[in-house]
Amino acid sequence: MRILVSAGAYALAMAGIILGLSWGQPSNVVGMFLVSGLAVGSLYALGGIGLVVLYRATGVLNFANGAIGALGVMVAWQLVQWGWPGPLTWVLGIGLTTALSLGYGRLIGPGLAWRDPVVKAVATLGFALVVLGMTAFAWEDDVRRFALPTDNVAITILGLRVTVTRLVVVAAVIGIVVVIWAYLGRTRTGLQMRALANDRDLSALIGVPIVRVETVAWGISGVIAGFTGLMFGNLVRLEPTIITFMIIPSIAAAICGRLDNLALVLVGGLSMGVIESMLTLSPELRAVRPIAPFVIAALVLVWIQMGHRSVIGRDQQ
Amino acid sequence: MSTTLSGRIGVALALMAIVFLPMLIGGQWMRIFTSTACFTLAAAAAAFMYARLNMVSLAQVALMGVGGWVMLRLNHGTALPFEINLLLTGVLTAAISVLLALPALRMRGLYLALITLMIAGGLEVIFSTYRFPNGGTGFWGVMPSAAAPFRRPVLAESDGAYLRYVIAVVLIGFLLIDLHRRTRPGRAWAMIRRSEAAALASGVNVTAFKAWAFALSGLLAGLAGGLLAGALGLLDPATFRASESVLLFALSVVGGAQYWFGAVIAAALYRVLPALFNNAGIDPNLTLVIFGAALLHAITTAPDGIAGQIMGVFRGLTAWLRPKGRR
Amino acid sequence: MKTTLKAMFLAGTVLAIPGVVLADTVVCEPGNDGPATGAPIRVGGIFGNAAPGDFSSATRAASAYFACVNASGGIHGRPVEYGVENDQWNPELAAQAAAKLVEDQGVVALVGNASFVEMSVNASYYARNGVMVMASGCAVSECFESSNIVSTNQGPLASSVGAAMYAVEDLGATNIACIGLAIPSVGNWSCGAVESYMEAQGLRASSVLMNPGAPDVNSSLLEAIASGADSILVNLPAGLGIAFLGAAEQQALRDVYTWTSSTPLYDVSVPGALGSYWDGALYVNAELTPLDGEGEHARHWRAVMDDYGRTDDPRDTFSQAGYLSARFFTQLLSTMDPAEIDDRAAVTAAIQGIVGYESDLICGPYYVGVADRHMPNRAGTMVRVSDGGFEVVRECYEYEGPYFEPLIEAERALGLH
Repeated sequence: MRILVSAGAYALAMAGIILGLSWGQPSNVVGMFLVSGLAVGSLYALGGIGLVVLYRATGVLNFANGAIGALGVMVAWQLVQWGWPGPLTWVLGIGLTTALSLGYGRLIGPGLAWRDPVVKAVATLGFALVVLGMTAFAWEDDVRRFALPTDNVAITILGLRVTVTRLVVVAAVIGIVVVIWAYLGRTRTGLQMRALANDRDLSALIGVPIVRVETVAWGISGVIAGFTGLMFGNLVRLEPTIITFMIIPSIAAAICGRLDNLALVLVGGLSMGVIESMLTLSPELRAVRPIAPFVIAALVLVWIQMGHRSVIGRDQQ
Repeated sequence: MSTTLSGRIGVALALMAIVFLPMLIGGQWMRIFTSTACFTLAAAAAAFMYARLNMVSLAQVALMGVGGWVMLRLNHGTALPFEINLLLTGVLTAAISVLLALPALRMRGLYLALITLMIAGGLEVIFSTYRFPNGGTGFWGVMPSAAAPFRRPVLAESDGAYLRYVIAVVLIGFLLIDLHRRTRPGRAWAMIRRSEAAALASGVNVTAFKAWAFALSGLLAGLAGGLLAGALGLLDPATFRASESVLLFALSVVGGAQYWFGAVIAAALYRVLPALFNNAGIDPNLTLVIFGAALLHAITTAPDGIAGQIMGVFRGLTAWLRPKGRR
Repeated sequence: MKTTLKAMFLAGTVLAIPGVVLADTVVCEPGNDGPATGAPIRVGGIFGNAAPGDFSSATRAASAYFACVNASGGIHGRPVEYGVENDQWNPELAAQAAAKLVEDQGVVALVGNASFVEMSVNASYYARNGVMVMASGCAVSECFESSNIVSTNQGPLASSVGAAMYAVEDLGATNIACIGLAIPSVGNWSCGAVESYMEAQGLRASSVLMNPGAPDVNSSLLEAIASGADSILVNLPAGLGIAFLGAAEQQALRDVYTWTSSTPLYDVSVPGALGSYWDGALYVNAELTPLDGEGEHARHWRAVMDDYGRTDDPRDTFSQAGYLSARFFTQLLSTMDPAEIDDRAAVTAAIQGIVGYESDLICGPYYVGVADRHMPNRAGTMVRVSDGGFEVVRECYEYEGPYFEPLIEAERALGLH
């Protein structure tokens, strides 16, 4: 029942916002902004999903996801410049981010296991600074572009041309949600991950191999971070700082899914993108439209706490 | 009222710094220490929320930005003296802090931290879009030419006198935190930290005392931002990014949130260390690497922060000295 | 990573050596023989370099020029001691750097400054301390609308008005959408000047402002389309500009509009990053004369960079501007009374007295004067992206528009116009 009420309230709110912002605009213009917003929203969702996959299993909100993704795409770009074949550079870029994520998860993560979730999160900021510093040192400031073969093919949706790269992002986001859902539901490690997410101490008592399960989670999150980095490098900008700090709106998307529900992260990320894009139609709010993800995430947090006190207290063990 | 030894040492050190520090340093270091002192106040506010209530604010630097904005707005919009502007800045920032925290009052742990991070992210967008008042007209008060003059306190027009002034305000801020710790709010916060249910049962108004904590931390952040505005005469949005708020909280943990000098260590790491690296001509990107690695190292190896380690050494020393003296 | 770093350091050291060996091939005026001796003349410079941008190229060029001056006999036989500081885009570090140079080291002037942050933070400080800044990389309005800063570069306002003029006069634009940063002292200021220029011509223009960190460039593109423009003027930092043009490429808009840009896209890496799609369709305004120019100073600049700079110093517009500031400063000091060049007040007065310095690196004369705003360089060149490089499509032309009227009046008073 509550789910239906929530879904209804959400649909009404979105429809209201979109109609309110697009009032008096020609419908083809509105359609283009809608599609453009979905494209940006899929990027927020992708970043958010990478965060939630790790957080569910390990309790670590990884601020470094953006930074390692940025390093991955810079390495891939560099290899392309040296004439390496594209697919190999992508694999190596993602391999590097996976290795970095695993390295942190195995070497530093366990030392912080019993600390506050917030301290675990801010510790990853230290890792992010290290990785960002090395990336920015190795590649001096210059204009670069990370091209993918899928950039050159586009289809037109509601008047807006959308490249296949953007469609790949949308497909990947949906694919990740489905695959992770199946993985958590149907495999033993997935079951153990869910157990860890529910109650860490109890899982340890009943013999869930915490280190092994966490390692898998860090690995998966590293792969997603690498893929995210490649996509951001292509679709946002090939600038390490920009990609690194995409993590903050990504956290906003993760909040929309209460840090545990991937499908809600997807919905939240897309909604954030659409509203941000639609705000362009308002002369007053146009200039501050990047604020949309943060306002939405804050409203979601308030909404969560209104009904679900227990959810809010849960991380406080 | 009883005082601790470390507290007495702190007051003595602050008084010594007020008298001697500006005599010993040049123009560059005058400015570095003024910045450091401002951020000490903000770090102290973040640390007290964390240590006393287990509440994490990842919007402390952003709130400083609010304070700085109000201060500049008052300076360019009114003819009031510095002190009144600073007081108004503190009070207004405290009010804004409570207002922003209202939805967060029932939250705890990571969710509270995240809502403050969202606030910091939102403020970052506002600051970078509208900038800080520099003497222009209208509500936002921004004009394209060089900033109009800023009125520093009559007593502290020069950089040296202003540094003394800032250290004095920071000392007052620390004493204010300490006063709270010793009186009713401190006892209420201690109970809330233990258990909100128990606090409620024993008649503590949990919501009010939490709001009070946000007000105090907003007040201190506002004062810090106002003082920083006075140090430079203007402000730039780059100072108040959301990532800076996260970094300042991280450094408060590294410094040691339980101890007053943890905030001093945090601010020194935040402002003195990068200045030293810059003076040494180290590539700023490598500075970032060193900084991040040090942050990771300190967080993983020193749970009570650097201040905790210093206190450990100090206790060890006194324990080692005492039996000897008795013998 | 370690080996990469080591290799980079090694490369730096090895490549720096030829500069020392060849030290006496290029001569910098005033130039008598042999290296300068005597007490150094203290000069400062502040640049910004940290992720996400590096503006150090101007101070590097000024540094190379001063090294050349010192090797050629110095100014009145004395060497220049050039102290540079990095503000790392941090306003507090910028203020600290200014205090260090002006108060602690007592520099007589600052030369070659280039930053987004430094000038807006320190403009009032320089005025209070009576020190002049002969800057090279001004990017914000405070830098131009300040009594004690004068720059050899044009900045976003002049450069985008220049691009708009070209769009109107040569490409037939009647309604321009100016894409700028949503920062009052950058985008609003410079695109606002484009609007008032177009209004003065009886034409239309609108500003589309975008947040520098925002991931979404598409909605700004759509906003530009919705404005009804027939010409789009990209007035963004290079990285963001490339992203914006990439979005336009996706929408296949090259032939629907005419495309111009302010200077940031005049950079050797840009045509490669843009790809062949924009070949022949993007017109860029160049603040200084072309990088491969054959004038006397243009060749001298490249020679100085080769002999006294580092191989990895960029040879870009900021480098030209830094060279030029250092050259003008040297020219001024060598005409001053040797007894006065350590007196900051005298140097400041002399800089304010500069009238009609010429160079083939800029289109018009360079002057300073006592004024609340300085923008001596407001004539430029227009180039077009072509075959992975640039070709000149319009030689030096002076920009028009309401913003420049007070400047033109000041120039008339100095007998320049």
